[in-house]
Amino acid sequence: MTDDKLLIEQLSNPKLQRKAFETVVRQYSEQLYWQIRRFVLTHDDANDVLQNTFVKAWQGISSFHGDSKLLTWLSRIAINESLDFLRRQKNLSVASIDDEEGGVANMLMADNYFDGDETEAQLQEAIARLPEVQRTVFLLRYYDDMKYSDISKMLGTSEGALKASYHIAVKKISEFFKSLD
Amino acid sequence: MMNEEKYIRSRMGTRNPFQVPDDYFDRLTDSVMSQIPEESKPSRTVRIRPWLYAAACLLVAVLTATVYFFAPETTGQSVVASTAVSASDTYVDEAADYVMADNNDIYACLASDL
Repeated sequence: MTDDKLLIEQLSNPKLQRKAFETVVRQYSEQLYWQIRRFVLTHDDANDVLQNTFVKAWQGISSFHGDSKLLTWLSRIAINESLDFLRRQKNLSVASIDDEEGGVANMLMADNYFDGDETEAQLQEAIARLPEVQRTVFLLRYYDDMKYSDISKMLGTSEGALKASYHIAVKKISEFFKSLD
Repeated sequence: MMNEEKYIRSRMGTRNPFQVPDDYFDRLTDSVMSQIPEESKPSRTVRIRPWLYAAACLLVAVLTATVYFFAPETTGQSVVASTAVSASDTYVDEAADYVMADNNDIYACLASDL
């Protein structure tokens, strides 16, 4: 694995830029894919959003000066792209799949690239019903075990606000499951 | 850890239930790089903005310098007077338009008052 410092140096050199960017893609694409997939849920959508994420990163490479870690910068773009995608999707369909009772869970159970059981599909449904910030902080804490300080840098939101959002998200999800029992 | 969080973790776990097509990650880098343009050109607005800012600053500087170096010196009193005259002229013009009178009518009216 090439370290961030060297990659950032190469990214600022026009002659080495493209090669360095290829290394960035190789190094971080899988991690970013899973972050995106948890937001958008289907493989095809995750693949589209990931491609857009790297195109945006490439276009904005001159604005990245290494103030944060490369992964933090890329994750921020990936999350923004995922949330934009979900907003567009919601605007396109009058009755969104999230609004239907069991819509997300049923869709996942019919998806060839979903390997979970019904409970895991229902967890994805409960997460999909959360508002944007609660959903983001929950996904990053629950699956990636990310620190509040890192999420705060990524989203530009205070740690206190993130803790409160996570707390509310956890409460809503547990209530969702208790209502199913 | 909150009780609710323990409940969720024990009931659902944190296993990744999603899958990808075979060899997806092996082909991913090539697939992404094929979508990337040859050069990382910043967007048009980003390139234009610094020029816009520079042009705006230059314009403000030129206008300030013009007013400072070339404007005739005026006292506070003459400014007030000229304002009063221009306001008065404006008023007469508007009044003339309103009554549809031309200059001859106005002179005749003023002469009759004498």
